[in-house]
Amino acid sequence: MSTAQFLPLRFNWKTGLLAPGLLLFTSSTVFAHNIEKHFKVEPRSMVTIHNPNGKVVVKAWTKSEIMVIATHTSDKVEVDAEQTGNRVDVMTHQISASVSPEDMRADYQINVPEDAELQIHDDSGEVSVANVLGDMNVETIGAGVDLEDTAGYLTVKTVGGSFQCIRCAGRLEVSSISGSFKLLSLRSYHVHAQTSKGSILFDGEFLPNGIYRLKNYSGVIEVHFSPGDSFDLSATSLKGKVNSQANLTPPAHPHTVYSKFGNAILGTFNAGHAKVELSSFDGTINILKRE
Amino acid sequence: MATVTCKDFQDRFEPSDDSPRIDSPPDLDAKAHLRDCPACRSFVQDLGMIRAAAAELAASDPEPPARIWFSLRAELEKEGIIRDTPSKSWLREFFGGRFSALPRPVLAGGYLAALLAIAFGLSGPINSRINRQRWLDGTQSSTMPLSAELTSAEKASFSSLPASESSESPVTASLHKNLEIVDNYISLCENSVREEPENELAREYLYEAYQQKADLLAQLNER
Amino acid sequence: MARVRRVETPGELPEAEAIRLAQAGNAAAFERLYRLHNRRVYSLCLRMVGNTAEAEDLTQEAFLQLFRKIATFRGESAFSTWLHRLAVNVVLMRLRKKSATESSLDEMTEPDEESGGPRRDFGMLDLRLSGSIDRVNLQRAVEQLPPGYKAVFVLHDVQGYEHNEIAEIMDCSIGNSKSQLHKARMRLRELLHESMRDKAREDRKAAGNAGGKD
Repeated sequence: MSTAQFLPLRFNWKTGLLAPGLLLFTSSTVFAHNIEKHFKVEPRSMVTIHNPNGKVVVKAWTKSEIMVIATHTSDKVEVDAEQTGNRVDVMTHQISASVSPEDMRADYQINVPEDAELQIHDDSGEVSVANVLGDMNVETIGAGVDLEDTAGYLTVKTVGGSFQCIRCAGRLEVSSISGSFKLLSLRSYHVHAQTSKGSILFDGEFLPNGIYRLKNYSGVIEVHFSPGDSFDLSATSLKGKVNSQANLTPPAHPHTVYSKFGNAILGTFNAGHAKVELSSFDGTINILKRE
Repeated sequence: MATVTCKDFQDRFEPSDDSPRIDSPPDLDAKAHLRDCPACRSFVQDLGMIRAAAAELAASDPEPPARIWFSLRAELEKEGIIRDTPSKSWLREFFGGRFSALPRPVLAGGYLAALLAIAFGLSGPINSRINRQRWLDGTQSSTMPLSAELTSAEKASFSSLPASESSESPVTASLHKNLEIVDNYISLCENSVREEPENELAREYLYEAYQQKADLLAQLNER
Repeated sequence: MARVRRVETPGELPEAEAIRLAQAGNAAAFERLYRLHNRRVYSLCLRMVGNTAEAEDLTQEAFLQLFRKIATFRGESAFSTWLHRLAVNVVLMRLRKKSATESSLDEMTEPDEESGGPRRDFGMLDLRLSGSIDRVNLQRAVEQLPPGYKAVFVLHDVQGYEHNEIAEIMDCSIGNSKSQLHKARMRLRELLHESMRDKAREDRKAAGNAGGKD
């Protein structure tokens, strides 16, 4: 970012040459607005972020404090961060009647205690959260969402934004229309992931009594497993293919009516401790052994 | 006695919650001001009237409709939060779990119409003795009302957009693009349901696609 | 593992027992908890957003979030307080999502005069609010309050919560709750006076037109 410097000028012929140049310089210089705010909080604080366009990066730290750093370039928007009790609300709002999407852009870097609860709404841009262990609700339209080393109850909803979750624990529910999902090194006991057009890659642990439901309309659903895993599998694609490298024993439970239609693979792998349900309308489902 | 201005009085005035009378400020200076100032007396009386009227607002609130519970319960069962579901009628099982959220305001009427149409069109258990043609007719009549409601909601949504959409924001453009994707899936699912009316998975996909469309239209309407 | 007692009549179950059974996944227990609190939550949502369809949506969302987390409820606060805290959060998030031009709390009591915001004429407002306040006008005025003021006003004056309960629901201090309530009432008074003045102006205009036609 840069700010223009207004220097005192002595009037002489050199100034006469310089002045128009300076004018041009100042008129094309971008003024960036920065705010930084700190809020002291108690355990299990809550942070809400509403940002129509821009980057939202949230990281955990060891302080009992929430730090908000916001940057925006347009004078037509304002960023607010205010505290009410143990909750901090962060919002970008327009202060001019006509604002373009680019004017609405604001980027945030927010540090929170690791047990903070987050509610994030970011239409377009990017959302990334790392090491936060509290519950989380993230909604975007086109913004991609990246979570790393998070836990708690995670609900993520996008329209077109992609979703990546690495080493996440707790409970995960994610839905999208055209976004794709990558669920890597997961340690969640409940995963419900549904996208229409996107693909889903699941490469994580199947915890005992865990439930893993992955669903799409088209695209690929790919699940990786290890020889030591234990799950009951139900994989159905109405119009597409289902391929499995898992040696399954016939299911202990009655077939559902779904198995009459489309292509289905049902069975138990090892002791069947977790429940894995994969379903696609006309996409391909691959259940592959980890190398 | 210190002079209390109207601003001081009104800013600091705090009716005691324990006292039934709202016009009893605690300190002497404020009481004297209240006695002498008609504007502040009217201020205190106004606050009392607002408080009394507010208490009556709650009494006039309508009962929440029963469909909230049905929809909520269906979602809890779908997520496995309710774990000891008693046996249900096939009818309730079929359409109770299909919508995980109430539609937004613009689609509330369509949702109710669709539920009534589904209940009428699909009542009765599926078994091999049901005449296939009657089943097909039931299918078509159950999907038509919701489809028609969503189409008219979509038209209403687009008609409220400004005439020139050449400067559509990226967010709105993304919503439109995803709406096309969902429309395509609805069409595929409808064909599938028509070909195999007994296919519950196809129906489930179809109704979920309707729900996605309703959500997208609601988001478009909000912008 | 504790045995789950089958409950056939949700209406008879005490709340504490319903919570325990709901934590084990019992359907009737969930229904009991819903029936115990749905009216108040719905009323709160309705007062905050002003229309029934959105209030229904928010009521369902609040209960959904509550029931998803019910396993974590450890009884540190009253269940209803915990529920209303969730409901208030759900509503405030929705209101913030809708309003991009929301003014800050401080602006509502010290408005910028250039923007044409309301002025507080401490000694000049001698128009007492007429004998009774119209419920419709009051609801309209409530809808115009900023979300934070609206929440405290609805919880205290409409729903009857005490300040210590509101402090827990809104995660603020008791002093903060009282201060916000006072500001909310003062703002409502200004809005209702404006509405009265507008109406008086309309009536005078209508009377003038009628006189002119004669």
